[in-house]
Amino acid sequence: MVTYFFTEAGVVKAVDGVSFSIDEGESVGLVGESGSGKTVTALTILGIVQKPGRIVSGQILYRGQNILQLNQEESRKIRGRKIGMVFQDPNSSLDPLYSVGDQLMEVVRVHSKLTKEEARKKALSLLELVKISEPEARLRAYPFELSGGMKQRVAIARALAGEPEVLIADEPTTNLDVTIQAQVLELLRGLQKELGMTLILITHDMGIIAEMTTRIVVLYAGRVAEVASTKDLYKVPRHPYTYALLKAVPRIDARKQLVPIAGNIPNLITPPTGCRYHPRCPYATQECTDVIPPLEAAGEGRLVSCHHWKELATKKELTFA
Amino acid sequence: MSGQQAPVKPPTRRRSASQWAVAWRRFRRNKAALAGLVIVGFFAFLGVFGSTIAPYPARDPVCFYTGCTSLGPFVNWSHPLGTEPAGYDIYSEILQSAKNDLYVGLGATLISLGIGVSVGALAGYRKGTSAALLLGISQIFFVLPALVIILLFARIFVTLVAVGLGLTLIMLILGLFGWPGIAFVVRGEVIRLRELEFVQAERAIGASNTRILYRHIVPNILSPIIVFATLTIAANILTEVAISFLGFGDPNTATWGLLIQEGFQYPNYWWIAVFPGLAVVFSVLGFNILGDGLSDAFNPRLRE
Amino acid sequence: MAGLLSYVIRRLLFVIPVFIAVSILTFIIANAAGSPIDIIRHAIQRITPSQLAALQSFYHLNQPITVRYFIWLNDFLHGNLGQSLYGGSVSAQMLPWVSTTLELQLVSLALSLGIGIPIGLYSAKHQYSKTDVAVTTASIFGYSTPVFLIGIFLIIVFSIDLHWLPGNGAVSPYAPYWWGSVFADQVAHIILPATALTLVSIAVYVRLIRANVLEVLRQDYILAARASGLREWSITYKHALKNAITPVVTVVGLTVASFLAGAPATETTFGWPGLGFRFVTAALNLDLPVVQGITMVITIVALVFILVTDLAYAFLDPRVRLS
Repeated sequence: MVTYFFTEAGVVKAVDGVSFSIDEGESVGLVGESGSGKTVTALTILGIVQKPGRIVSGQILYRGQNILQLNQEESRKIRGRKIGMVFQDPNSSLDPLYSVGDQLMEVVRVHSKLTKEEARKKALSLLELVKISEPEARLRAYPFELSGGMKQRVAIARALAGEPEVLIADEPTTNLDVTIQAQVLELLRGLQKELGMTLILITHDMGIIAEMTTRIVVLYAGRVAEVASTKDLYKVPRHPYTYALLKAVPRIDARKQLVPIAGNIPNLITPPTGCRYHPRCPYATQECTDVIPPLEAAGEGRLVSCHHWKELATKKELTFA
Repeated sequence: MSGQQAPVKPPTRRRSASQWAVAWRRFRRNKAALAGLVIVGFFAFLGVFGSTIAPYPARDPVCFYTGCTSLGPFVNWSHPLGTEPAGYDIYSEILQSAKNDLYVGLGATLISLGIGVSVGALAGYRKGTSAALLLGISQIFFVLPALVIILLFARIFVTLVAVGLGLTLIMLILGLFGWPGIAFVVRGEVIRLRELEFVQAERAIGASNTRILYRHIVPNILSPIIVFATLTIAANILTEVAISFLGFGDPNTATWGLLIQEGFQYPNYWWIAVFPGLAVVFSVLGFNILGDGLSDAFNPRLRE
Repeated sequence: MAGLLSYVIRRLLFVIPVFIAVSILTFIIANAAGSPIDIIRHAIQRITPSQLAALQSFYHLNQPITVRYFIWLNDFLHGNLGQSLYGGSVSAQMLPWVSTTLELQLVSLALSLGIGIPIGLYSAKHQYSKTDVAVTTASIFGYSTPVFLIGIFLIIVFSIDLHWLPGNGAVSPYAPYWWGSVFADQVAHIILPATALTLVSIAVYVRLIRANVLEVLRQDYILAARASGLREWSITYKHALKNAITPVVTVVGLTVASFLAGAPATETTFGWPGLGFRFVTAALNLDLPVVQGITMVITIVALVFILVTDLAYAFLDPRVRLS
């Protein structure tokens, strides 16, 4: 998929050729720094990229059907009903003028033919599903009366109101207190098991990804750097960027100091040529500046986009000692 | 790769831009905002040099003596915009009036700023009864039917009591009633800023309140003040023109409002009202566009 | 509901000092012109001493000014707004003046909201389109133009040149009536002044709505609503417009509050015999009781409507009620 933002300052190539596939019931992590294109990828999947952004090309194959080709009405029916999304900031993702119950019922009723009373019962059960305290009272409450953690639970409940098969969670815990973070993640994990949902978890936090996912897609500057199972990725990263990310996070099997990644995230209007990571990569060569590295298979269910991954793997450069 | 690593490129350092430089860059790209700046500049020029450029002195019934009264526009090039039955040359009068209308508009705004910023900053920075009192006074002034009181005041004082001070009095009274708006804005910003951490940090190291107020808070409230000031100038010009038009202004001073009133008395000589009217519209337009442009430059609303 | 009640009471308590402040201000300014006697003398050259004495006691001129203020205030609170210096009770004429102004203002308000809100909404939803650019440009010109200037232009073109519509007054005082009947005559008379007012108001509302809707459309909850699969019209009206409209309510409320106060220039241009026109005439003629009376009436009506606006706002936005 390719999604650009056509701004006055120039064309921001937010997502420039991102491709990956997800199996049903999987829990996939989408990881990268801010500006890597994670959120835009999620919006592209749902087809809700707003001006000045535009989906330039690509397909989203949902059970074999390209949902980007659907007309407005049909793609609307997918949103919320097949694919749901939870946003990062619970303080702004709920409409401040409507009660919790109203907002839940609204989504329930747009995807089903329930009466008002039935929808209300469903809303209540949704609140119970997300384990919010005093659900009856919360139905009548307004968003500003709730704490951050409660609001996020409501947001999750709303995302689940249409009974989707896929849930995209965009940094669901970043804006919450650390203690609440654990609870919400716990909730998501539980829900995924209970409902057999497919979960796409977007985050920049390597610690969260490790707990919550079985497979990880690493994004850098709008392109895929690496795809691997969580275990493989953490044990043996194949892309220098992944390696750098992991080195910046405390881990129990490494004795060395934490190393922040040198350099800044690239300007997406005039991104680096060739491999977008080359300005910050200690292993970069001329080829990296000239040619975009292809995303190629690197073992069982693994993909890497780096010209030198084979050499680095053989030389065991990307290890934690 | 045979063991040889490419030299690590030093991270590119972006020149850290002050918020003013960033805003200026954004402003420059906004074509409408630049147009506003040009228009305002043009009228500022007229304000300063209008009297010098004008071919005849203010309120000079030149055609009364030379017999070119009630001339239409674009006919006689020494009276390009026409003349009035009383003999005034429209082009000249418009130029002579510019400085007066702008004087009132700008002066009133400065007065409102002075009062409004002080009251607003104090009301926002202090807590307790003094703050509540200041807020209350702001609300009272906000709710007063300003135009009516201004008209009454103008009628009594400008034409009866203090003849000759005309425009200055109007400027004073406009300024005296126009400050609540900016006071509310400033108060809101100050309240927001004083709770920020850097202010708490300053207090922790023992900085005095005045130092905090002037070195830290004031620079951050400058941008909404500038925007508000520009838009207020536009509004004040409109109000002043209305006051003069209704006959409550100083009858001996040339103002666009007075010209429009004279034009209204002779609706068949449309040029008498229309050309001064256009001067009003474009000067106000200039300030409004400039204000909008500044607002956009300071607060970008584009999503990443 | 208790929250709402205490809110109302708090607002009411605020109203009283405003009223007092305005009354004092008005009284002082009005009396700075000189005593009513001098003014009357100006108009009527010869006054007999007994008339003079009667006038003096009627206007309590032998009392200090503070006492005169309280006498006036007391009268006012009892509904007695005094006598016009040119004859006639002020309070008796107040109601027809007020309703004449209201007629013009309400027609304008309805038209400008009815036309302005849809245009602003459309413009915001199609930002940067040619229509949006045209609308934004027109609206900036609109609110940069004095209403009376548009009025003059309309009068010149439609009344004097084309003679299609009357440009003065609210009704024809005698036959022949415009367009056949007395009612049609009134309709004909209101068209030009209402148009002038409406054009400027539309510009103001379009700009306001457009800015607010644009702001709201950037919010996460709109994106979240879309991600939940809600219908487009539902997103536009139930969520975007409702959130964008609350500040507009404040502006409309303030506009209504200044209905009576904001009309002088327009009414004078069209000779529309409402409160603004009467105020201007009275002020120019130094008919001080009328001027004082009108100022106070305008203030009271303004305060009432500000209160109503606050209540409407509290009704629409739950966050205000419970703070």
